[in-house]
Amino acid sequence: MNSIVTAFAKGIEKSGVKPSMICVPSDIPFEPEVVDFLGVDFFHTTRGRAIPFGTGLKLGNPALKVVPFIGDMMTLGGNHFVHGSRRNMELLVICINNFVYKKIGGQSVPKTAPAFSPYSTFDEPFNIPHLGNSCGALYTARWTALHIDELANSIAEALNKRGMSMIEILAPGPNYYTDIKHIESNVLNFYYENSVIKNNEDPRNVEITPEKKIVVGKFTDKERPTFLETYNTQLSSVLGDKFIPYGCVPPQNKSGGRNGGD
Amino acid sequence: MKTDPRAVKTGVYYIDGDVAAGLGALAAGCTFIGGYPITPSTEAAEAFARVAPSAGAMFIQMEDELGSIASIIGAAWAGVKSMTITSGPGYSLMMENIGLGAMLETPFVLLNIQRAGPSTGVPTKTGQADMMQSRWGSHGDYELIAIAPDSPQEMFDYTIKAFNLAERYRCPVMIMSDECVGHMTEKVVIPRAEEIEIEPRRFYTGLPDEYLPFKPDADLVPKMVKAGDGYNLYITGLIHDERGYPVKNEEFKSAYVRRLVDKIRLNKDKIIEIKEEGISGAEVIVVSYGISSRVAVRGIERAREKGIKVGNLRLVTVWPFPDEKICELAKTIKAFVVPEINYGQIVYEVDRCSHGKANVVLVPHGGSGVHNPDDIFDAIVYAAKQEGKIEGVVEYKTKLEKSIFGGGNKLKK
Repeated sequence: MNSIVTAFAKGIEKSGVKPSMICVPSDIPFEPEVVDFLGVDFFHTTRGRAIPFGTGLKLGNPALKVVPFIGDMMTLGGNHFVHGSRRNMELLVICINNFVYKKIGGQSVPKTAPAFSPYSTFDEPFNIPHLGNSCGALYTARWTALHIDELANSIAEALNKRGMSMIEILAPGPNYYTDIKHIESNVLNFYYENSVIKNNEDPRNVEITPEKKIVVGKFTDKERPTFLETYNTQLSSVLGDKFIPYGCVPPQNKSGGRNGGD
Repeated sequence: MKTDPRAVKTGVYYIDGDVAAGLGALAAGCTFIGGYPITPSTEAAEAFARVAPSAGAMFIQMEDELGSIASIIGAAWAGVKSMTITSGPGYSLMMENIGLGAMLETPFVLLNIQRAGPSTGVPTKTGQADMMQSRWGSHGDYELIAIAPDSPQEMFDYTIKAFNLAERYRCPVMIMSDECVGHMTEKVVIPRAEEIEIEPRRFYTGLPDEYLPFKPDADLVPKMVKAGDGYNLYITGLIHDERGYPVKNEEFKSAYVRRLVDKIRLNKDKIIEIKEEGISGAEVIVVSYGISSRVAVRGIERAREKGIKVGNLRLVTVWPFPDEKICELAKTIKAFVVPEINYGQIVYEVDRCSHGKANVVLVPHGGSGVHNPDDIFDAIVYAAKQEGKIEGVVEYKTKLEKSIFGGGNKLKK
């Protein structure tokens, strides 16, 4: 977790984005209390709902940079992720993948690879970058929590990306089952040493299985208009002068604050 | 504060309640609706979506009701007024984040055009069986405000009022309408912008370093700021202190939840709106809300023609419930008659507040239609005839129920 926050801080600095304009909605399993020290606005919402909450933040004030940090992304948040990607909502989704429900004892999750459950699992885990990419996310990457510099670079790039970006981070939770399969207790190192960097790899080939090395890297970086751009273009072509482009004027009400409004 | 003239479609219209609510939301300053509206609430979203682009507002079709309500809470924290629109099944899905909204003290409005349940029920027909769900639907202790309009004009007026209450008390406000009111077409007068008073968000204006997002004013309501203004917000659905940081001990838990409920309970007199007519000297009072109050009027008229002294008490605000009012009236009358399109929800509140001082008669209806006014008339006659005290709620069987199940009226405790 510390290394992810370090990478996040480095990424923000590198991107040139003002930390006070960054909002981090997260969901219950993932509590990045530490991001509080980075000067961003933090919202700890309901399980899996960080993406729609972030969608509201972004559309409520399009000047914000919204970075959902998600733990329950592929379960409760699965549909929201699929639709956020399809819409090309301007969000940077950080998906922390630790392969288990760490807070409640380590039950298997849809991301669990077979090696991480005492009697194995009986279904296939998601290939998250592939899912994001095929649903329309512009930017997909995966790093382990020890690839701090690479992760920071990805965060910096994705923060300035106009559209849906998604970074999967492999990070250990307290993993009670690692010893059963004779995996070293230092899972962090295990991930790092068993990963291979393949930038621009086709996301179809990056599934995580016990047989293969974990493929990390920046997989895709595409361009297409964001939801808001499409919304404004489409409506101004239909409504002409009657249309007031959305998000081009800040909300009427201002709360002042350190930024003096926006 | 006066509303934005771009958002007011001034004129005299012949429209239905749903459309009136959509136009009311826009007039109230709502600039964001995230929705997945379902029958019979879709017209409200359509009306808003049609006019929003020319008023600087947006309707977004979300992926589901869970996402809809999460998005409007996010939008509210970004500084705009927001709303979502739904009916029965969608309302059930929204319960999770209604609790989050109450916990984060987020102002937003939820329009529920009630339909006949349970489950999918009868999507195109009316019901009033979500009333208790609107009060207790999400887990944990919280209080919110629910209002029940009974005409398209009121759908416009009370949607504006709902936004004003949400901003004033920093809490979710439910508009608990129903299919009949939503699809009823009547004359609606939309006034000029300068005649519409709206409550602006109560933003914090003090020194930035001294801001505490959950530090209440004297009226127990904290001031708000918006995301991106540099306050380094820490906002969580965990029990939190005034700074917003999670705390676990009993003292904090009690103090926080106490304030969450007290900010509504102690401001009840300012929130509650009821409409009463012919109350003084009445022996029977009909307590109703939403479409049932429109139907009750005819039943009351007929009873008065027969010489029965009947009062009409209409709950515009259903939650918080007017406990004291009902309690006072119970001391002076023989009975309350409560027609509602369910098998007993608000009637038990009336019974609770009358403390056994007056009889309480429920006129139930299973949904998919409204009461026949004759049933309400019959129930009034029945209630006026009873001499003694009857313990508990009496269920007065309507003609429809008798025709299905046979038999006369059995007293049911």
